[in-house]
Amino acid sequence: MDVIDQLGSLKEGKLSRRKFTTSLMAAGIGVMTTPLATRKAGAAAADQGTFFTWGGYDIPELFAPYKEKHGELPNFAVFGGAEEALTKMLGGYVVDVSHPCNSGIPRWIASGLFQPIDTSRLSNWADVMPELYDLKGNIVDGKPYLAPFDWGQTSITYRTDMFEVEGEESWDMLWDERYKGRLGSLASGGDAWWCGAIKAGVPLTEIDTPDAFEKIAAVMRAQRPLIRLYTDDTTTLEQALASGELVAAMTWNSSAALLQADGVPVRFAKPKEGALTWVCGLMIHKDAPNLDLAYDIIDSLLSVESGKFMISDYGYGHSNIKAFDGFDDETLQGLGLSKTPADILAGGHFQIPQSQQWETKMNTLFEEIKSGF
Amino acid sequence: MSRHSYIKRPNRPLQFYAALFLVVLYLPVLFLPLFSFNTSIYVKFPLTGFTFQWYVELMDREPVWAALMNSLRVGITTSIISTGFGVFAAKAITRYRLPGKGPLIGFIMLPLVVPGIIFGVALLVLISRLGIQLSLVTVTVGHVIVCLPFAIATMIPRFEGFDPSVEEASADLGENAWWTFWRVTFPMVFPGILASLLLTFTVSFDEFIMAFFLSGTDPTLPMYIWSQLRFPKEFPSILALASIILVVSFALVFLGQWLNRDTQATDLNSE
Amino acid sequence: MSITNGPMPDDATGLRKTSRLGALLQRSEAARGFTLLSPTLFIMAVGILVPIGILVVMSFWTQVGFGFDTTATTANYQMAAERPIYGALLRRSLWMSGMATMATVILSYPMAYFVAFHVHRNKMMWIVLITLPFWTSYLLRVFAWKVVLGYHGVINSALMNLGLIEAPLEFLLYSQSAVVITLAHAWAAFAILPMYVSLEKIDKSLLEAATDLGDGPIARFLRITLPLSLPGVISASLLIFIPTTGDYITPTLLGGPDGAMIGNLIQKQFGAINNWPMGAALSIILMLSIGAIAVSFMLIANFVRKRIS
Repeated sequence: MDVIDQLGSLKEGKLSRRKFTTSLMAAGIGVMTTPLATRKAGAAAADQGTFFTWGGYDIPELFAPYKEKHGELPNFAVFGGAEEALTKMLGGYVVDVSHPCNSGIPRWIASGLFQPIDTSRLSNWADVMPELYDLKGNIVDGKPYLAPFDWGQTSITYRTDMFEVEGEESWDMLWDERYKGRLGSLASGGDAWWCGAIKAGVPLTEIDTPDAFEKIAAVMRAQRPLIRLYTDDTTTLEQALASGELVAAMTWNSSAALLQADGVPVRFAKPKEGALTWVCGLMIHKDAPNLDLAYDIIDSLLSVESGKFMISDYGYGHSNIKAFDGFDDETLQGLGLSKTPADILAGGHFQIPQSQQWETKMNTLFEEIKSGF
Repeated sequence: MSRHSYIKRPNRPLQFYAALFLVVLYLPVLFLPLFSFNTSIYVKFPLTGFTFQWYVELMDREPVWAALMNSLRVGITTSIISTGFGVFAAKAITRYRLPGKGPLIGFIMLPLVVPGIIFGVALLVLISRLGIQLSLVTVTVGHVIVCLPFAIATMIPRFEGFDPSVEEASADLGENAWWTFWRVTFPMVFPGILASLLLTFTVSFDEFIMAFFLSGTDPTLPMYIWSQLRFPKEFPSILALASIILVVSFALVFLGQWLNRDTQATDLNSE
Repeated sequence: MSITNGPMPDDATGLRKTSRLGALLQRSEAARGFTLLSPTLFIMAVGILVPIGILVVMSFWTQVGFGFDTTATTANYQMAAERPIYGALLRRSLWMSGMATMATVILSYPMAYFVAFHVHRNKMMWIVLITLPFWTSYLLRVFAWKVVLGYHGVINSALMNLGLIEAPLEFLLYSQSAVVITLAHAWAAFAILPMYVSLEKIDKSLLEAATDLGDGPIARFLRITLPLSLPGVISASLLIFIPTTGDYITPTLLGGPDGAMIGNLIQKQFGAINNWPMGAALSIILMLSIGAIAVSFMLIANFVRKRIS
């Protein structure tokens, strides 16, 4: 250690003060210039666009066209729930592209944080299925704000070897007393509350009524003692399902698909009451620092290769109709998907956008329930 | 010395307890490096085999490097600023009679005890009301506040440890105050400054709560780890990264404490 | 280095010339001291007082959609008083960090005692060794405990390998005890220092006197060592209790549904729930409760100490 040697020699009087001062200055200059040097080294990543997304979408497989064009992946920032993401952006967090879902569209647009999409800048737009962007509130003055990317369902993934299904698959599975302490749930109200509505038999169109709040709160309270773990972290749920710590959990398609690929005996249930269906997509921040790159991120996500990966590896639907070409109907049905998504969207329970007040009220109440009140 | 015989007498149960205490203190943390060399991606016994694979994989990950650079930038800036301010503060506290010194020191030391979430949230509110974008700069501000008490606490014993008459003698010999500081005070407290730089750098490098609330698009290393905790395939690499951070932190803190050891020994003994 | 370029209040020119400022600085010790202290005080004021001031103000606002209604109202505090979750989570947090504090202090005291009385060489080495883990990443230490306590974690897989249990113990993870264990472990290093310092300060001749008066080791400990080290115990308790009450990382990673603490709820008000004023109000309530408990604890401890000695 140079420094210690120096100190030692100073104590012993070997090093003159002047010399000591000089070496100190040198050290000082070294320390001062380090931040500058690192700034330069860190600059490469700063030149890329930023994608603010759910965990699991920050992978190279979805950005092959982007990487080809720019040599690197975009920067990623990950959120656990769309509400959390919106709150963070309202707090001054600026990204290029973010990833909300259909129930949030009007509120996200109303926040004034996003700009309409110029679809002529997206080479894959012509192949995007119109029923996916023709969503409530999405088109303002003829321009969409959300470019649809993935769609899928929130349902129950369960261990076929450990969970004994009585009769038909149903939401009752996550309320099954026999498996107390071995059930898991997504923590975000954006999924769980809506699934609670389906379980409680509340039509999603009426989810805003006081009566609905009461009914859903009642079923969520009934479920609370049975749940081992609420988390927004899909991996935690997947690992717990894989290890047998949980026997059934509320998840999205991808968890079941990933576990099956790993050879874990699980099934993605088709509950008789219907699963919760959603469409998520991409929005551009109004102050996006890299607007061109933002369009490249979206275009990359909408590409056929990204779509094929989404279907085959994650079991999600994609918005590009051509992405479905390589898959036969049987495979798609096994995943709960279809080449004509209109069927699925019409058949399932589709989330209906709510006001910000409703979201705050629902989340406050759901947090209380999760904490045991 | 025979007067203290009963104190000197070794107390076997207590020695055993002390050894056990140290084992329990270090053991959980040591599991991270242990499993970072394990071939299985699952963290469980029995160990399956020895590998460097996860460390090699880590080298190829660009986001890790970017996050590391961010943490270095924040850490270096934080340590320089807080140590710089800390030198003056420590000198003021030890050398001058100040009215209301006790409460002032208490106020400065507040960040040591007030829950991080309160400062994190309060700063977030302030920064967003001012319309400032979250970035590494805002993280650095948060870290300076957390680190200043550490810097001051590290340097106070240094200033207490040397005789102010040396400074006075220098002044009497016609050195002006600037040169007195530069040629007498500074070399004397230099180990303390170095220790403070190392310690505050480590605190900032490892800090998570402020970064959680105040960071923008650029993650610091702990933020990056937090975001990656969820991916089982990444888990061993994260263990590897965590192990590296632990080793570096241990080394830096150890060096810092060692540099400052004589003051601490005298300080702790004299108090 | 910035130190050398920093503003030097007792700069040569200021001292040598008889400028008014220089004269003032030279004359008034306090003024010079405060000048040296001013950068720190400034940054602490900007970084602590101003934000907390705004936090207080915001706690009287209400969230309206994405914006705030800035008319002052105590609605948030009323809500906190009326709805059971807030009080219960606060009590649970205080209870859990109270347990963690007690565990830490009781377990660390013998260690501090050992270093103070039974280590004669390389004392500093021991202190550094004990405090070393405290300086390393809190996140990683919590994370390490998750690895240890997990369903297929270190403890469970080791016990199963040894054939002591057949199925993993489920209560290890996602429980209040997991949080308490982790908090106690994480803060042990911090707790030892103040206790060590006050034990070290004890005048050995007092112990000698007690022995001469016929006190056995236990009586000696209870009559002299313990009362004299109480200040250290008190500051150690406060140093652990105060910061752990607001923790939210440990409960998030290890607590499960029953292990959530008030910090988690505060964090969610600024995240998913999106009700910043409520979050501000909860932070203020947390701060006030911690303050009240700390003050009453100190008063009681002082009273007890006076009674003992």
